[in-house]
Amino acid sequence: MSAFDEDLGDTVTLAHGNGGRLMRLLITKLFAPHLGNPTLDTEADSACISLPPGELMVTTDGFTVQPLQFPGGDIGALAIDGVVNDLAVAGATPVYVTLAAFIEEGLEMAVLASIVQSLGAAAKAAGVRVVAGDTKVLPRGQGGGLYLALTGLGVRTPGCKLGMSQIKPGDKILVSGTIGDHGIAVMLARQAYGLRGDVVSDAAPVLPLTQALLAMPGLRFMRDPTRGGLATVAHEIAQATGHGVSLEEAAIPVSPASASVCEILGFDLLYLASEGRVVAVLAPEDAPAALVAWQALEAGRNAAIIGTVEANTRGVRLLTPIGGARFLPELEADALPRIC
Amino acid sequence: MQAAKLWLSRIHELPLRESVAVMNVCGGHEHSLSMLGLRAVLPKMVRLIPGPGCPVCVCPEEDIADSIALALHGGVTLVAFGDMLRVPMNAPKGEIKTLAGARAAGADVRPISSPQEAVAIARAQPERQVVFFVAGFETTTAPVAAMLAEGVPDNLSVLLAARLTWPAVDMLLQDKDSALDALIAPGHVATVMGAEEWRFVADTYHLPVAVAGFSAVSLLAALYSVLRQKLENRPFLDNCYAELVQPQGNAKARRWLDEVMEVGPANWRGIGIIPASGFFLRGAWKRYDARQRFDVLAAPRRRIGEMPPGCDCAAVVLGKLTPEQCRLYGKACTPMHPVGPCMVSDEGACHIWWQAGLRAA
Repeated sequence: MSAFDEDLGDTVTLAHGNGGRLMRLLITKLFAPHLGNPTLDTEADSACISLPPGELMVTTDGFTVQPLQFPGGDIGALAIDGVVNDLAVAGATPVYVTLAAFIEEGLEMAVLASIVQSLGAAAKAAGVRVVAGDTKVLPRGQGGGLYLALTGLGVRTPGCKLGMSQIKPGDKILVSGTIGDHGIAVMLARQAYGLRGDVVSDAAPVLPLTQALLAMPGLRFMRDPTRGGLATVAHEIAQATGHGVSLEEAAIPVSPASASVCEILGFDLLYLASEGRVVAVLAPEDAPAALVAWQALEAGRNAAIIGTVEANTRGVRLLTPIGGARFLPELEADALPRIC
Repeated sequence: MQAAKLWLSRIHELPLRESVAVMNVCGGHEHSLSMLGLRAVLPKMVRLIPGPGCPVCVCPEEDIADSIALALHGGVTLVAFGDMLRVPMNAPKGEIKTLAGARAAGADVRPISSPQEAVAIARAQPERQVVFFVAGFETTTAPVAAMLAEGVPDNLSVLLAARLTWPAVDMLLQDKDSALDALIAPGHVATVMGAEEWRFVADTYHLPVAVAGFSAVSLLAALYSVLRQKLENRPFLDNCYAELVQPQGNAKARRWLDEVMEVGPANWRGIGIIPASGFFLRGAWKRYDARQRFDVLAAPRRRIGEMPPGCDCAAVVLGKLTPEQCRLYGKACTPMHPVGPCMVSDEGACHIWWQAGLRAA
């Protein structure tokens, strides 16, 4: 008998996706209680929503992380944080999300329930409402347990000028905390390579971090360093602006546990994903105040100024602690598949 | 980093009058010093030359071909350290060239990071043969010897391509054309085998030599040592990794190696046979030799044992060319599509230089 509902069964079957009674039970008993809000009508084909004033911002993202649950989070919370963060770094306040769940036949009902619960809790914490949803069940072997696809809607102050095009030579680059912990936590959770560790994913909503900087006139650009990590964001900046980016290796915050795992396995934290960090570019005169603002937040206590946008160089240079420098290449081979 | 900067300033204070070529034997050293950006901060007269210490690079092509044949046609689970999955053999266009390719074609090939994993995989499927393809130096071979000595399930065997480091250096130094002035000896190998193994460099060839670890401090201290030895014309064996490296090494590891392995002449990819440079299973341990257990080996083919056409990996391994001097570097050969083995591993000079951002002109 299932731990929480005997009608629903212990595992997801194809019948939970056939449009009939079991599907109705899955939605009403498992999804709706955790996602329930006045706007989510499980009976309707589409939802009527109204948005606060401002520029409408929209983002969409798919989530395929393996394993589904890992230290510091699961695919449910990760999905909410993922869309919320994409809106937040664009200067928006997230308001609504839609959710499509692709469930593989055979997934334990208790695991699904726990993930949906955590998704609901993450939505509540981030202040977003799930306003539309869909579930599909895929035959065994055709999905990784659970895939999620979300679209997020948010609003931002009209005239908000954030973007790569705002970046100027001399601007400072900040990061809100240690990098790559999510990538390491997920890898350790796969129990690959026989390594154990107490690295916890940094997955979290970054809204407090982005909102702390939004009022600063010198704020140029923000991005969350997910797939491809900090190095990839640095490359995106260099390519979009045509300016060089130099990063101060000794200034980049890393957690000792993640650094050790990288040393053992030959990975580079600069290329590994974070799911709760922000990289921000600010005018040099505003960078110290931004650092103070971030460090005053729990999520930003390890924040640091880590680099500079340069006029007369190209590409991304890493300034090493010994006083050397090397070019940081773009990510090539994929070290860690399916981390988000 | 303060200590490292102190060593660096001491190096700059040395009254060097002519160019000094220092070979760092170990791929791990090349990785560390490239990632530190050390070449850029050293005096121009100090030339650091990456040496033969990349086990993936020197693993014979025919061994890779055998591992692929076993994986494809032997009905076995083949396990290997991750890098070995991507090293190409010489096969006609369109045919499977790597273990990763064999895996994509349906073979049961799994990357592992320790011998314990190989044992665990064999224990988990007692009805199936598991072959552990081992390419490595003393540092890797000692744990494999320990694994066998401690007892493994009967369904596990090893396909051994394990090598000793110092014979390759000895061969390099015998070369009359060798232009090497000093040697940084490998820290991990010396941890197992002992610093004393490298005394021959000073005694026989009258060249400065220092064992180094992998931090900036240890590498710069060792570099300072060999440069000063050279300046004072007073070569000796220095140990700048004394926190780990004993003169005689790790007694237990050496006992395991002696018990399980014997040493004989062995082939190095692109270099040829080097006397007393290969580990082979000894006596009763031969029953764990995959070559004796299976007769599925690679079919004869063109270019057997050779480097791919145009590939200068052999010259790079021997320190005769630097990676960007190879015609294929960054063109036909990149980490995504490696042609030669030096572009595959974190210990391969071409891969390291590419990762450190060095692009062909």
